[in-house]
Amino acid sequence: MAQISFFSVALKNLKRKTFRTGVLVFAIALLVSLLIFAISFTVSVASSLKKSSERLGADLVVVPVGARGFAEEFLLESKNTSFYMPGSIIDKVEKIEGIENLTYHTYLSSISGLCCDIMPTRIVAYNPATDFIINPWLQESLGRPLQPGEAIAGSGTSENLGLGLLDIEATIFDNRFKIVGVLEQTGTGLDHALFMTEENLKNIIASGKSPLKKGDISIIFTKLKKGYDPDFVGRVLEGQIPEVDVVARSDMGEKFISTLADINKIFLLTTVLASVLTTFLVWAIFSAIANERSKEIGIMRALGAKESHIVKLYLMEVLVLGLLGSLVGVLAGTYLSAMLAGSFSLLKNISAGLTGGQQTTIALIGLLIGTAICVTGAMMPINRIKKMEPLLVIKEE
Amino acid sequence: MSFLHIENLTKKYIVDHETFLGVDNISLSINRGEFLSIVGHSGSGKTTLISIIGGILKPTSGRVLLEGVDICAFDDNRLSEYRSRRIGFMFQFASLLPILTAKENVLLPGIFKPGQKTDNDTVARDLLEMVGIGEKLDSYPSQLSGGQQRRVAIARALLNNPDIILADEPTGDLDEETEAEILQLFEKINREQGVTIILITHNLELAGTAQKKYRMSKGCLVDI
Repeated sequence: MAQISFFSVALKNLKRKTFRTGVLVFAIALLVSLLIFAISFTVSVASSLKKSSERLGADLVVVPVGARGFAEEFLLESKNTSFYMPGSIIDKVEKIEGIENLTYHTYLSSISGLCCDIMPTRIVAYNPATDFIINPWLQESLGRPLQPGEAIAGSGTSENLGLGLLDIEATIFDNRFKIVGVLEQTGTGLDHALFMTEENLKNIIASGKSPLKKGDISIIFTKLKKGYDPDFVGRVLEGQIPEVDVVARSDMGEKFISTLADINKIFLLTTVLASVLTTFLVWAIFSAIANERSKEIGIMRALGAKESHIVKLYLMEVLVLGLLGSLVGVLAGTYLSAMLAGSFSLLKNISAGLTGGQQTTIALIGLLIGTAICVTGAMMPINRIKKMEPLLVIKEE
Repeated sequence: MSFLHIENLTKKYIVDHETFLGVDNISLSINRGEFLSIVGHSGSGKTTLISIIGGILKPTSGRVLLEGVDICAFDDNRLSEYRSRRIGFMFQFASLLPILTAKENVLLPGIFKPGQKTDNDTVARDLLEMVGIGEKLDSYPSQLSGGQQRRVAIARALLNNPDIILADEPTGDLDEETEAEILQLFEKINREQGVTIILITHNLELAGTAQKKYRMSKGCLVDI
C-alpha cells in the first residue's frame, strides 16, 4: 500500500540531504543540552538549598559570632568544620521574646579506629529531650531513641565509607560506640554525619582527644511563636547577645545564592547567544531550502496545494527537526549534568539532586524551547516559500 | 454557453518601467472534450495564457469562465481547489519530485485534495499502466528516462479526474519517437475520457493533430 502524506513527504525531504539535516539536529541538540545543563544545575542547587533549610525545621539558626559561613558549610555543604560557643548562651536565647522552643547541636570532627582506615567524618551530638531535627528522622529509621554508647550514621556517611555499618563497633575519641543503623536520606549536609546523644560528650571530653570543652555547643536551632517575624527576632537576638550571629531560614545558603546568581548570568548569556546562533542557522538553511525547492513548490501549487499546505509541509519538516534535535539535546544535557556534577565544587559539596518531576519538567522545557527556536528560525523562509508566485518559480531556470 | 469561455483576457507585465502585453485582449470559447493546440514562438504569450486558464496567474483584465463561473474572481484558496479538482498540469520540463517514487509522484496531488485517497496502490498502478509504465511503480525519477518521466507526469495530471489538461510544451526535450508516443497518449485520454486538452507546442506537425489549432504572436491568438 502506497503511503503518501505531508508527513512522509517532510521526512523524505529531510533525508534528501542527510549531512545538512545532521548539522541542524546537532546545532539544536547542542543548544538544548546547554539549556538542560544550565537549568538542571541552577534548579538542583536552588532546590537543594531550599530543601536543606526546610528540613532543618528551624526558623532561626544561632551560631557563634563570625561562624555563619562555617555553619552553612556544615549544614549545607557537608564540610568538616568545628565551631563552638558556651552553652550558657542557650538560656539567653530562650529569654528572647518570640522564641517558642529551641534545641542545640555540638559538632565534632573525625572518627578513628573503625574496623579499617576511613576518611574523617563529622559527629553531631544532640539533646534528645529538646531535639526537633534528628528525632523525627531517628523515629523513621530506628523506631526508638539512641542510647548512650550508640550512634547512627547519616545516609551519606554509610555511602562514603562503603560499609555496611549496622551492628559494628567504632572507636570514637577513645570511646567505643555501636553503630545501630543508617538514617534515611534527607538531602541536607547532615546526611554526611554520625549522630549520638550529648550524654556521650562527657566521655569524649574526658578522653582529651577532642578540642571540645565542657558545656560548649556549636549551634542553636530555634522555632518562633506564631506571628513573629524571623528577621525582627534575629535582629533582637544579635542586639542582645553580641556573641552570636543569627541566620533566618530564608537566608540560609546566601553565599550559594549569590554565587548561583552570577553563574545564572553566565548561563543566561551563553544560552541566549546559542539561541540566536541556532535561530540564524535554521533561518539560513531554510532560506537555502526555499531557493533550492522553489520550482517544486511551484509545481505543488499548480497541482492544487494551498498556501496553508505548503506551510504545513515545511512546518512538519521543521517540527521533526526541532523535536529530534531537542530530544537528542535533552538526553545529552541530562547525561552531561550527571557526568559533570562532580566536577563543580558547588554541586559536589551539597546534596544536589533533581526529583523525577523536576527532571521531567526540565526535559519538557528543553523540548519546547528547542522546537520553538527551530520554528522561529524557519518561519520567515516558510512565509516566503508560501508566497512564491507559482508561474515565476516554475519558469525559473 | 461553452464549457470554457475566455473573454477579453489581457495580461500586462511591467519590466523596468516598460509595459509588455503577455496576453492581448484574447477571447476564445472551448467545448468540453475538445483537443486544441497553440503554437507560437518563445515569448509569444502561450505559457501566460494557459497559466491564467490554470489559475496560477491572475490576468490584468478579462474573465475566464468555466461553466459560467469566473475563476479570475477566486481567492487563492478557491483557485487552489479549482486547480486540484478541475485542472491537470503538464510542464515543459520533468516536473516530478525527485524524492518521491513514480507511484508517490502520481498520488501527490491527492494530499492537496480533501477526501482523496492517497494510500491506494491500485489507483497509482492503473494510471501508470494506462500511460504504459506500470512496471516502474517504485522507480525514482532519476531511474526513469525523459519519456518515462513525462508519462508519470501525465498519470499524475489524471489522478484527480480533471476536466482540462493544460500541457505546456510537454515534449520539448524529447526525441521524435517519444514525442509521438506522448501525443498518442494525449489523444487516447481525450478520446476515451473526454478530457479537454490544451496543448502548447513549438512543433507545427504536433499541433496539426489537434481538432482546433491556434497560433499566438505578441500576445494575440489567431486561428490556423
